Amino acid sequence: MTIFLQATFEGLSLGAVYSLVAIGLVLVYKATDVLSFAHPALVVVGAGIISALAVDRGVPFWLALIIGIAATGMIGLIVERTFLRPMVGEPVFSVAILTIGIDILLRTILNNWIGLNPRYLGDPFPSFGNFGSLEVNGITLKYLELAALFTSIIIIYFLTLFFKKSKYGVAMMATSYDQEAALAQGINVGRIFGLVWLIAGILGGFAGFFITGGFNTLTQTSFISALRALPAVVIGGLDSIPGAVVGSLIIGLTQGYVAYYQINIENIVGFSLGSGFSLIAPYLIMFFILLIRPDGLFGREEVERV
Amino acid sequence: MRKRPDLYTNYKSESSIFSTTTQKIWFVVLILVSLFSPFYLSNYWMLLLTTSLLIAIASWGLNIVSGMAGQINLAHGVFVGVGTYTSAVLGGVETSSVIGFELDMILWLPISGAAAALVGILFSPVSARLKGLNLGLVTLAIVFIGAHFFSNLKFITGGAGLGRKAAKLKFLGVDLDSGIVLGNLILEKNDVIYYFSLILCILLGIGAKNLTRSKIGRAFSAIRDRDIAAEALGINLFKYKMYAFALSSFYGGIAGSILFIISGGIEPGTFNLLYSITFIAIVIIGGVGTVLGPLFGAFFFTMLPGIIQVILHAVGVADSGFFLNAGEIERIVFGFFIIFFLVFEPRGIWGIWFRIRNYFKAWPFSY
Repeated sequence: MTIFLQATFEGLSLGAVYSLVAIGLVLVYKATDVLSFAHPALVVVGAGIISALAVDRGVPFWLALIIGIAATGMIGLIVERTFLRPMVGEPVFSVAILTIGIDILLRTILNNWIGLNPRYLGDPFPSFGNFGSLEVNGITLKYLELAALFTSIIIIYFLTLFFKKSKYGVAMMATSYDQEAALAQGINVGRIFGLVWLIAGILGGFAGFFITGGFNTLTQTSFISALRALPAVVIGGLDSIPGAVVGSLIIGLTQGYVAYYQINIENIVGFSLGSGFSLIAPYLIMFFILLIRPDGLFGREEVERV
Repeated sequence: MRKRPDLYTNYKSESSIFSTTTQKIWFVVLILVSLFSPFYLSNYWMLLLTTSLLIAIASWGLNIVSGMAGQINLAHGVFVGVGTYTSAVLGGVETSSVIGFELDMILWLPISGAAAALVGILFSPVSARLKGLNLGLVTLAIVFIGAHFFSNLKFITGGAGLGRKAAKLKFLGVDLDSGIVLGNLILEKNDVIYYFSLILCILLGIGAKNLTRSKIGRAFSAIRDRDIAAEALGINLFKYKMYAFALSSFYGGIAGSILFIISGGIEPGTFNLLYSITFIAIVIIGGVGTVLGPLFGAFFFTMLPGIIQVILHAVGVADSGFFLNAGEIERIVFGFFIIFFLVFEPRGIWGIWFRIRNYFKAWPFSY
């Protein structure tokens, strides 16, 4: 039971972090029809900025965190303004591939800076308590994971408020339903595009910190963790924000359970699944869910006319 | 008539492999030049040339599924990897850690292609149900699942970080690993690989061109342009999407089976996400949906490191304190070219070439 609770907690925390990335992806997709493969790169670039400021430059960590997250949002905005503006109205596939190009650009520069050794973010989380964790009934709760869980819940709560109450949130919703109708209502769709990327970037910045903070460290392969938000988005349905959260939790929990129960699963199936199986289990889940529901669990079924 | 490049008076001339005599002449000249190139090009250039030819074959594969049939495939590198490991197992030497059967090339070459095609067919229930971005994301999953298999099936691949040796070159019982002597001609191993690649490249290139002219090719473009309309016309989507993935992986498998003999060893980490993306970039930079395009793209991609080295030496920052190394510059240029071509010239290098050609053909008229 302890193991089960431990796995559940870690899974939920992971899922919460993925949901931050996933919400950003869904927002961008809904508003601008762009599936951004560059998002994982944004996430790690955010972490890179935090690390560069806090560790290399000696900026106080919390200030570095805020600057890093804001800078990630700005990079998102810049990417939209420079690379994606000329592509408005182009086929979805072309734009998706273009974001792969952006991803290569961002990550090459970042990897050059990271180098071979893992980078710490300079956060105080590892120094809390017992190597950054506290123990409740035999379950190890890492402070970083707790923080991830709570921060994500708060962010998602405020995002929901933002979309329901604020002027820009409603405008964003309108844009995602129908761009031309939104334009006719006097909504500045161009500004909405930028705003969506800004929000997505900020969410990515938060996720970047939680993915690479503490003892997780930032390495050249950190982006693969952020990339796992993509199956989450697909499971939930590309155009559904609640779906993104549910999908992320499914992915996080799958990863958590498989990490702890891989030996039991191997005993049942009778062959070795290989090391690191928990990292590809999310993709397998996505495979099967898409076979049953091609539009994801919450995705709107597309009505197509010939 | 001769001066109007876009004018076709009948369907036969529009769909012919070489629409003009000039093209036939160029094709023959090109083949003759390639046949004799080992005699006047240095080893370094021969290696680049061989790699280009093989990468071109693999890119044609991706072009069949993405360019002709319009299905996004982010996992082409995995299919190439399947071909590589099939050839390595069938044609490789057995060691204490990996299996190998030391079979003849005439056996492992087609089997490698077939094995990759089989994986493509196995994937078809998924590919037939999905389309657009969801398909792209599922193929992304294949990249990671494939990488997991490659690094964990240690008796086949040697395991992550270690790798194994590629297949031995033995054709119809003749051991070609140390080269071959034909009368006065001494062909080294690399030259032999080059000739195999060249023959395959010509055959599969003509195959790819013919595919566009066949019933299957027309079905592919119908699916690409509008899948619902294609279905209404009586095209079996499941069947033709399966064909597309099978053919595509077949090309990938054939290319992969030889590609790693050049360097001699294969490390499972090679077949990562970037490797698969490379092929997409080659097809886009070269020209989507054309036969010449991926060939251009493959040559461009393979020659890029050399070109960058030359430029770096010319500027004088080759080994001094420039903050990016050559590999990184290469990747940045590559990423930049993806963006550049998508924004400014979606038809790729082929599109540029096409415009220049038509300009001179129609000169002094602009139409």
